[in-house]
Amino acid sequence: MQMDTIMSYLNNMFAALPRTEQTFKLKQDLLAGMEEKYYELKQEGKSENEAVGIVISEFGNIEELAAELGISPVSEEDLFPLLSEEEAAGYMSVKKRTGLFTGIGVALCLTGISLMILFNTLVENGWFGSFASEDAGNMLGLVAMFLLLVPAVGMFIYSGMKQEKYSYLQAGFELPYHMKLEVERRQAAFAPTYTLSLILGVCLCILSVIPVFAASAFGDSATSYAVIALLEIVAVAVFLFVYYGNIKESHTVLLKKPKAAKLQKEEERVIGAVAAVVWPLATCIFLVSGFVFGSWHINWVIFPVTGLLFGMFCAFYNIVKGKESS
Amino acid sequence: MISSDVIRGYNDTIILSLLLDGESYGYEISKRIRMLSEEKYIMKETTLYSAFTRLEKNGFIDSFFMDETFGKRRTYYRITPLGRAYYREKCEEWKLTQEVVSKFIREL
Repeated sequence: MQMDTIMSYLNNMFAALPRTEQTFKLKQDLLAGMEEKYYELKQEGKSENEAVGIVISEFGNIEELAAELGISPVSEEDLFPLLSEEEAAGYMSVKKRTGLFTGIGVALCLTGISLMILFNTLVENGWFGSFASEDAGNMLGLVAMFLLLVPAVGMFIYSGMKQEKYSYLQAGFELPYHMKLEVERRQAAFAPTYTLSLILGVCLCILSVIPVFAASAFGDSATSYAVIALLEIVAVAVFLFVYYGNIKESHTVLLKKPKAAKLQKEEERVIGAVAAVVWPLATCIFLVSGFVFGSWHINWVIFPVTGLLFGMFCAFYNIVKGKESS
Repeated sequence: MISSDVIRGYNDTIILSLLLDGESYGYEISKRIRMLSEEKYIMKETTLYSAFTRLEKNGFIDSFFMDETFGKRRTYYRITPLGRAYYREKCEEWKLTQEVVSKFIREL
């Protein structure tokens, strides 16, 4: 119990020092010594409070130690809040879960679109026969798509809200040394999995166009089925990117240098703002062109095209910004 | 109790002298200082660890880890040949200092 008092005293004393390997080791040594002194004093028959009092009064002056280490206590301004173990672990697990939900959500959206194309094609090919009119078949496709979009949107909102809790990390933070080691260990252990997921995803993306090429030999409706296959393969690939990407990002964010974190903020804000405009706009164009002009068979290309352009913008912006700051 | 200002220049000498008897760790050293000085000098923790840092930086002592029975790791220190030479130097310096200062000390 009383050891907690000593520990928090020591934590306070070291709070103003930069967290380097050297200060961490010193702190551990000091703690071990203080602990031993405390238990010996108690064995001598001192009360707990008395023992803690003696240990703390014989601690000395942290500035003396700082001067010897050639470090000056960090000023309040440069000091970022220290992340607790629970916060760091919580962030990683939330990031993993939101990655899962976002990944499934995106895959659902793509599946919804492919379902709609499927119904369209089926109608065109007369699969519904006399059961339903062409319009009813198309409506069925739309309904199926929206049925999948609804849970997807729910998942996006849920993920967003879950992550909102950790938005304060963007303001900069300091990771305790032992947590840093733990995250670094996890990052190293995760690297092969991430690389594999990346390779798999990229291969899937490349392979996804093969059915389209192959189908072009067999006429229009074959192409439609091929597009459906493409969308589904891309859905799997996107899921891999989002899910494993989120896990990787959780490590990267935690290990980011506080200064770099601050700089990153502006870039992320700009990209976020652009994304907030571009994607709803693409969706609007998609829906309007579909409902008004009935161009469902081709207007889905807006999404891959937007994705491509947006990706190019992000990469370009990051390079330009990165040059500026270096 | 001795004021830490007066004794400051000899903290390193005190620690080195204890390490001449064999390797040791922080708490043991501070305990022995307290005992040998008959509780007249208690070295503060930060003073002790500042001295360790300084001595190690100058190559007068080495540090290494040793596992304790309860799975804890303790940092042990041992004196180097350079440290012994420095210790002898400081002893000479002290003899001279004592000789000089004592000439100005008289009973009133």
